[in-house]
Amino acid sequence: MDAKLEQDIRAEFEPQIRACAHPQELVVHLLRAIQREHGWVPDEGVELAARLLGLQPIQVEEVATFYDKIYRRPVGRRVIHVCDSICCWSRGEQEIRAHLEARLGIRLGETTPDGVFTLLPTCCLGACGRAPAMQVGFRLYGELTPDRVDRILDEERRAAGQGDPP
Amino acid sequence: MPTLTIDEREVSVPAGASVLEAAEALGITVPHFCYHKALGAVGACRLCAVEIQAGPQHGLRMACLVEARDGMVVSTTAPAATGMRRAVIEYLMLNHPHDCPVCDEGGECQLQDMTVAGGHGVRRYRGKKRTFPNQELGPFVEQEMNRCIQCYRCVRTYRDYAGGHDFGVLGVRQRVAYGRFRPGRLESPYSGNLVDVCPTGVFTDKTVRFRARVWDMQCAPSVCPHCSLGCATWPWARYRELLRVSGREGPRTNGFFLCDRGRFGSGHANHPDRPRTPRLDGRELGWPEALEALRERLTKLTWAHGPGAVGLLTSGRASLESARALGLLGQALGGAPVVCEPHPRRDRAVRALVAELGQLGRDQEDVRQSDCLLLAGLDPEGEAPMLALAARQAVRRGARAAVWDPRPDRLPFPARRIARLPEALLEALARPDGRAPDGLEAAERESYAETRAALQAAERPVLLGGADLLGPRGVRLLLAAARALSRPGRACGLSLALPGPDSFGGALLCPDGPDADELLAGIEAGRVRALVCLEADPLSEHPDPARVAAALGRLELLVVLDHLPTASAARAHAVLPTTAAAEMDGAFVNHAGRLQGFARVYSAGLPIRVTGQGAHPPREFRPDTPGELPQPGWAVLAALAGEPVELGELRAELARSEPRLAGLAGLVAGGPGVQLALEPSARERPDTPAEPGVAEGELALLSVEALFGSEPLSARAAPVAGVASEDALALCPADAARLGLGEGEPARLRSALGEAVLPVRLAPGLAPGFALVQRRFGGPLEGFAPGGGPIACRIEKGGAR
Ligand code: SF4
Ligand code: SF4
Ligand code: FES
Repeated sequence: MDAKLEQDIRAEFEPQIRACAHPQELVVHLLRAIQREHGWVPDEGVELAARLLGLQPIQVEEVATFYDKIYRRPVGRRVIHVCDSICCWSRGEQEIRAHLEARLGIRLGETTPDGVFTLLPTCCLGACGRAPAMQVGFRLYGELTPDRVDRILDEERRAAGQGDPP
Repeated sequence: MPTLTIDEREVSVPAGASVLEAAEALGITVPHFCYHKALGAVGACRLCAVEIQAGPQHGLRMACLVEARDGMVVSTTAPAATGMRRAVIEYLMLNHPHDCPVCDEGGECQLQDMTVAGGHGVRRYRGKKRTFPNQELGPFVEQEMNRCIQCYRCVRTYRDYAGGHDFGVLGVRQRVAYGRFRPGRLESPYSGNLVDVCPTGVFTDKTVRFRARVWDMQCAPSVCPHCSLGCATWPWARYRELLRVSGREGPRTNGFFLCDRGRFGSGHANHPDRPRTPRLDGRELGWPEALEALRERLTKLTWAHGPGAVGLLTSGRASLESARALGLLGQALGGAPVVCEPHPRRDRAVRALVAELGQLGRDQEDVRQSDCLLLAGLDPEGEAPMLALAARQAVRRGARAAVWDPRPDRLPFPARRIARLPEALLEALARPDGRAPDGLEAAERESYAETRAALQAAERPVLLGGADLLGPRGVRLLLAAARALSRPGRACGLSLALPGPDSFGGALLCPDGPDADELLAGIEAGRVRALVCLEADPLSEHPDPARVAAALGRLELLVVLDHLPTASAARAHAVLPTTAAAEMDGAFVNHAGRLQGFARVYSAGLPIRVTGQGAHPPREFRPDTPGELPQPGWAVLAALAGEPVELGELRAELARSEPRLAGLAGLVAGGPGVQLALEPSARERPDTPAEPGVAEGELALLSVEALFGSEPLSARAAPVAGVASEDALALCPADAARLGLGEGEPARLRSALGEAVLPVRLAPGLAPGFALVQRRFGGPLEGFAPGGGPIACRIEKGGAR
């Protein structure tokens, strides 16, 4: 994390923090802002958030590690969260996951060598009605089939190549 | 009082008790993990299932979460309940590494017990287990995260109960883990409680890792000897080595927990240089010869020069019985008086308390239950660590707290603070009109008035103080303030941290003997020719070590009874080895006037680890035990007086001669102890003169105790000595700037306590005009005995360190 990022985050959040009776409420916002700028949240990011909010680093870390969409380790430009909760599981999640792994050449928890995709499991995307489902970046995809997964991957790879936001 | 039926037996419990507690009252243990008496119930582990068969709720319930109600019928053995418990324990064991053979918790593990109690014996799960990397948490606590069952006891203890801020819960679901943000030493002074509260082997005592199973160790109920609070402990020994200490339930004192000084400071009993054999003029002797020779020399001196030729000095470290035996030796020598503390100001402060306390003494439980606290001149972390935890519990329940102290605030609870010496404020508080003292700033005046009003309005107010900063005058003012704030039917209590575990008892036995300065004057004038020190180290504890050194040099005979290798013992003509508290039966009177007994855990002797040099115990056949000679101080003194006694006789004599100690007769170790029936002394209260102030332009030096390294016993325990903080001179930034000193720069400190060159530490919380050092044994500040209150000092830049 560079000094510039720290300055930007500080500038972005200081007014909000001042206006907030319980700055602790802003932990997630701050972590997401750091992640937006840095791709993931390094230790220094946790410490920065703690400093800005007047908390102990462990208090921020508790929140950061609770949410699976706050990344505490480097990830690719597009993070795929494939749902393994019960509805998706009963509608073919295992097949979809195997397909993703084969297509990307990585296993759960890994990042493709070109740095585009990271594949993670998630427990429920709230898309049970459209199971099996996955989320890529901020986009939700349901009713997945292997073909549809291929098209989504192509599209996401192209968008990532153009530098589009996730 | 609801009455309910559990397993076909009726029980009545206080309103608000849970079904689990009601069962406990019948002697039925419902298996549980997350429930803990001091921490309450959170329903995290789901193990405590019972079936409620009649009453306001029905069916399978968590016993810890359901309030016991009138007419409830509960079964802990119904198939639904036992089935649920079996299933839950099986889930909780899914990820367990099954590494009990190499786990230090094994044999005293609640998880083992509950697994068996739950009827789970064979693992069915064949999947992968989740595993964690462990964190390095410093020298005291070992972490093995894979053994966790997510009961949250650790974080509830560390953070909620003890106010620590560097420990928490990480992750979610299967990945929940407990630890610090980055690896490193746990910062809380109460970190060791993780070892006691964790029901599994996640947190274990690192200082004794892989050393012993619980059934290999000897253990007995004891009382912590590391400060005046008298917390309840279980010391554990193996092969003549005092291995570890764990917390014992002390409802009036510590509750369940201990501070890290009390828990990890026991290694002094294993100190390699500890006196183990009687020594006279450089020669090692057996007891009979040593005692015979000394008795003869002491008697001769008394014959030749009168009873005043022998001085007797004890300290708050000695047990009550030993202090009494010293008095009896004095009597046997024709009336030699006892000095009960090597530091005269500490001595007078304790005696002032004991003389006037009456029924105002408040122990840790009273502090926990208080609704308004004033801490005047008390730094609990150094002087009485658990007192801070007791005060925190009061504040958590809504009590108000105020602090009057110039030292930086490091309390685990919020408090209104006036950063000044408390004396003038206490004097004001003790006056009928209570008018604020002159010279306060507006905000301070307001804070003072608010605190006074809160203390008056409170139902259970307690004033807390430290004898070291307050001194005799401050203690009298605190007592006067407590009396002024008391009214018929509602007393304002008082809880004062004293120098040692039996300071109170020692002062009770010699209310008006001479103090150490009078003793030194006697030596200097040639009147006192011999000195017997009972577990007292005047060279380290008197505020003028140079004067003590010169005086000791004049003595014809210096006899030191101790189990510590002290500076004074090193200079003695005769050293008589005594036992440490864990090696004897005895009693201490704690800071609040509670008499508590402790039992012998093991017999003193050279640890087999030493005699066997780490290998197999030596196959050497001898009738005695190596290093077994240390005797309780009282036994040595009685023998020296030529009147050997049994402990029971000595106690009976003491109970007869001092009616306030009548409770000694029925005292049992491990019991709640006896609150002494104290009457405030009828004598006129002396007007203690104000102490010489510090001149304009000089800084006032406070030499105080630190959590680690200052207290004579724990300072000699290896794990604690290793973490004592660096010697430093703390200054507030403004004073440091005026002196041209920056953080870490060397400064030369000159004071009546001595000279030292120390790095400067900027302490923004320290009041201007003060300099603060923490005495540490084994460093340049060893001679800076705490207890002197503020004294003048000079600080200059520089000097080589
Ligand atoms: S580490 Fe121990 S105390 Fe903490 S949650 Fe796990 S089992 Fe419970
Ligand atoms: S507070 Fe005092 S008595 Fe209690 S455990 Fe700590 S050192 Fe021992
Ligand atoms: S003890 Fe009741 S749920 Fe843990």
